[in-house]
Amino acid sequence: MEKNIVIIALFAALIAALGLVPKFTLVSGIPITAQSMGIMLCGTVLGSRRGGLAVLLFLLLVALGLPLLAGGRGGLGVFGTPWAGFLFGFPCAAFVAGLIMERWRSDNIPLVAGAAAVIGGIGALYLIAVPYYMVATASGLDQALVTAMLPFMPGDLLKAVLTGYITAGLATARPESLLSRC
Amino acid sequence: MGQILKSIGEVSIQGVSLAKSGRDILNRISFNVTHGRVGLIGRNGSGKSTLARVVCGLIKPDQGCVLIDGIDVFKDRHQALEKVGILFQNPDHQIIFPTVIEEICFGLTQQGQSKDTARQMAQAALEKFGQAGWAERSISTLSQGQRHLVCLISVLAMQPAVIVMDEPFTGLDRPTTGKLTQILREMQQTVLHISHDLEALQDADRVIWIEQGKLQMDGAPNVVLPAYMAAMDVVGGQDAFADITD
Amino acid sequence: MLSLTSPIKTGFHSVPVGPKFASLMIASIVLFINNTLTFQALAFGFVLGLYLWPGTAFFSVGLKMLWPLWPFVLIVFLWHLFTQDTVAGVVIVLRMFSAVAVANLVTMTSRMDDLIGLVTWAATPLRRVGLKPRILAVSIALFIRFLPVLIEKGAFLVESWRSRSTKRASWRVVVPMALLALDDAETVAEALRARGGVDLVDD
Repeated sequence: MEKNIVIIALFAALIAALGLVPKFTLVSGIPITAQSMGIMLCGTVLGSRRGGLAVLLFLLLVALGLPLLAGGRGGLGVFGTPWAGFLFGFPCAAFVAGLIMERWRSDNIPLVAGAAAVIGGIGALYLIAVPYYMVATASGLDQALVTAMLPFMPGDLLKAVLTGYITAGLATARPESLLSRC
Repeated sequence: MGQILKSIGEVSIQGVSLAKSGRDILNRISFNVTHGRVGLIGRNGSGKSTLARVVCGLIKPDQGCVLIDGIDVFKDRHQALEKVGILFQNPDHQIIFPTVIEEICFGLTQQGQSKDTARQMAQAALEKFGQAGWAERSISTLSQGQRHLVCLISVLAMQPAVIVMDEPFTGLDRPTTGKLTQILREMQQTVLHISHDLEALQDADRVIWIEQGKLQMDGAPNVVLPAYMAAMDVVGGQDAFADITD
Repeated sequence: MLSLTSPIKTGFHSVPVGPKFASLMIASIVLFINNTLTFQALAFGFVLGLYLWPGTAFFSVGLKMLWPLWPFVLIVFLWHLFTQDTVAGVVIVLRMFSAVAVANLVTMTSRMDDLIGLVTWAATPLRRVGLKPRILAVSIALFIRFLPVLIEKGAFLVESWRSRSTKRASWRVVVPMALLALDDAETVAEALRARGGVDLVDD
């Protein structure tokens, strides 16, 4: 029980840390934040339930007023923007990614984790974020897709690939660290 | 354990000052080191670690500069990589890659070596330290002392002229510390050795004492170390846990 | 870790969080019911007034917190100009600014401890599914305690990288960062258990 609470809290902190460590970018020269990759990692490493809870804890702390989101944003206000759908989608993204890691029992970790990151971290996420954006801005699907999804696609695909490598790296370094595979 | 050095490491620290959040961390520090092993001592919070990072070119001083063989280590990072390497306190905060060979190869490829050449050089470095079989070992399977050695090999493989060591043997048992110190003594690079372990600095060529960001004393170990110890005993009588004020 | 609570004292700071949060919920609903330009303009004016009341210093901090919304304003205006439905565009933008500003106001005028109290209270129904209030409190405390530690370790790893490369540290450092988080989790769980663990008896 204690182990679960602690690992959830620490991985929630990891999501935040990925956005706050100075002088660090995912790929040289491309300005994409590491935070949403942290969401994917929670799913692929911790599994569906623990991963989802870690992300929920992270969001709770953002809501409580800590400037944890990229750009030092936080507080209740971020849940009022049209992009709040992404925030609400994050726990689901981690959950789905974790589910895929747990169910798809192939030994090709980079592939499975990468796929989990795409299906959960992109698929499930945008399935929630885009409709939310449409309702919040009373816009049609085409506008929503162009303004809320298209610009982020390339970066997100890259993050999904990196999640695959990182999860595989963790599995090699310490196989028991993949709680999604216990 | 002879190595072919690319050059002699001459360190020139010129009027280095650095402040953070209004506090002076380093205050017009100047000294030169031309060779040998120089110990750097001081209390926690005296600025030693910050100085170590400035000497490596990782932090920009507010005033002054550090030149190694004439190269400004902050402004010219490319050349700095050839000149100076740093060994930090905790290998777990330092080792980035999962296997030994990858960790050693990293610095070499960043210096411009091709992957194959880097691998050969890394393997050669491992052999020099008698650990030829370590190449594909996962870091997680190594003990703390072994990880310290990997960090040391990773830095030495890059053949820097100067090595800065920020309390590199903390938390190691006596035999391991002894072995690693032996390696240190045989190194021909100029070494700046930051340490709380005063015993390890007894046979250094020179000891420099930094207090509250300023140069307090600079001389032979048998002069500086006793003076430092005497001063620390006084401090121990006061509140050693108090915040250090200027 | 500094929270977004504003150090500039206002009358709102002394209002208890429960009523503040409830007002926020009501305000959010009200903002989304009425779609006329007049209403939204008045609402926005009212919200601006709320920010001006404690003084210009507070007002400018509040404006700064609204700055991240600029891409959206751009998108909406471009899109709606294109479809020539400017009024609808203005309504959407005003409503969004009002909603975000009111929410930010609660954040800026509430202490984190009070908000945690509110959350713990609101989570009491969750006891039945196993979420004891103490678990929530411990989780939050662990997060706040270890976030600076993880950031510091990440920074060390970035230093290790920069001492051997002229390129910016890349995704590579995430692996050792995650491993350190996992290791910390082991140690902390042991420490927690050694101190009696999380109180699993119903309090």
